[in-house]
Amino acid sequence: MKIQTQSLCFYYHRQQVLRDINLHLPANKITAITGPSGSGKSTLLMAFNRLWEEIDGCRISGEVFMHLNGQNTNIYNPTLPLLELRRKVGMVFQQPNPLPMSISKNIAFPLRLAHIHDKRLVGQKVESALRKVALWDEVKDRLNDDGRLLSGGQQQRLCLARALVLRPEVLLLDEPTSSLDPDASAAIEELLLSLKTKCTLIMVSHYQDQIQRIADLHVQVLNGQCSISSNSLPENPSNRLSMN
Amino acid sequence: MLRSYSPSEYLFFTAAVFSGLLTAAVFGFLFFFGLPLLQSGQLADVLFSSWAPGKGLYGIYPMLLSSLTLATLSMLISFPISLGCSFIITALAPLRLRRVLLALIRVMTGIPTVVYSFAALFFLVPLMRNLIGHGSGMSILTAAPVLALVIAPTMILFFVNSFNKVSPRFTLAAEALGCSKIQKILYIILPQAWPGVINGILLGFGRAMGDTMVSLMLAGNSTAMPEAVTDSARTLTAHIALVLAFDFDSMEFKSIFVCGLSLYLLTALLMLLFRLSTAYFSQAR
Repeated sequence: MKIQTQSLCFYYHRQQVLRDINLHLPANKITAITGPSGSGKSTLLMAFNRLWEEIDGCRISGEVFMHLNGQNTNIYNPTLPLLELRRKVGMVFQQPNPLPMSISKNIAFPLRLAHIHDKRLVGQKVESALRKVALWDEVKDRLNDDGRLLSGGQQQRLCLARALVLRPEVLLLDEPTSSLDPDASAAIEELLLSLKTKCTLIMVSHYQDQIQRIADLHVQVLNGQCSISSNSLPENPSNRLSMN
Repeated sequence: MLRSYSPSEYLFFTAAVFSGLLTAAVFGFLFFFGLPLLQSGQLADVLFSSWAPGKGLYGIYPMLLSSLTLATLSMLISFPISLGCSFIITALAPLRLRRVLLALIRVMTGIPTVVYSFAALFFLVPLMRNLIGHGSGMSILTAAPVLALVIAPTMILFFVNSFNKVSPRFTLAAEALGCSKIQKILYIILPQAWPGVINGILLGFGRAMGDTMVSLMLAGNSTAMPEAVTDSARTLTAHIALVLAFDFDSMEFKSIFVCGLSLYLLTALLMLLFRLSTAYFSQAR
């Protein structure tokens, strides 16, 4: 088990968003989270990297255990260094959100935060991260351009590369393809499948066909409660993608 | 095609023109009454000589210099404190404390400066008298920290406002990547919000130049040229307030129109800089 929640409840001001969530999510799988809008899908994601703590009015109860650095860790243990957690648990948002800086600085940003300043090492890591998301060939001649000048699909791949540069064990994805056209979406989906060997992926998605193509598990959030099922079409998802 | 205006639009338009004209009228008024002094070719004398009415000298140079020194000194004290406070309010303090602090700062903007000065008269002036070792304890150095306190809330609110305008998309993205609070300030907020910081400084400086009560009550009001910040000094604003008691026909009285004119132009220049920098930076983005 990579992630386990115990009686997880989430409140936004006085409203209870999630009720008594007990989930077991396996390692190296893609778990899709679905549900009507406002049902708490993104909230559930933010419970895994504690990002809700940056938003006013949020409160949580219950526990989340995560297998990190080879150890089962309670991520809400007050002695756990929060920044370490967020470096192990990457996140990609619904809207591509490149930072207001150059393409290479965007990718190097997490390294800078982790105090990795060796220029050659940073350069290597930037290149390999950009190659991983198949963006290197498109941007290698304009690494100093502002990241916000890229197309939507390129921006989202940039954000994915940025999330991957610190080699996270878990990757949270909040509707990563909802603002992209079909071609760009397909490219991202293919990437996510290729990441499964190194990462545990948890993805909020609206698209039934997308879930059927790439997800191994399916968590449905409804009225603040979750039900989990293995994906209805259990054949090898990468085969299905090529079949389409 | 001509668009027709409703009566309320005419009303607001008239109000806008009227308030614009009012500012221009103040300038005209100062200019008109300062004219005799300007015409007699004494402008340079007034601007660059010292104040000795007994000798027929009505110069405001010491006051001009005192105003600028006091404003600069209080800015030097106030800026780091204000910047630090706004970091605490926007990023460092727990969410609940941020709201409390911000409310306190808002209250501070409403406290009349005479209250600060009055308190300082009892606590700061005796302390400075002992520290300086001579004189009344009233000096530029005494007024500066109090003026710093007076202009701080204005600057803090302006800084906080510009920090809060940084898109949460950027800050959340950075936080999700394991950004500490300090790193968030240094790498995300400041690079985005520094035009707002510059504008806050300009506004704060304008307030410092324009404040009357603090310098009137604490700087000592000596018309002599200040040679050190520990000297008693009189600012332009305090000078106007003090000379108002003179006979309307006297030269002393006439000279304060030039004071008013100088303050008017200095403040207008600051506001012009403020506008230009705002326009420049919003274009650059």
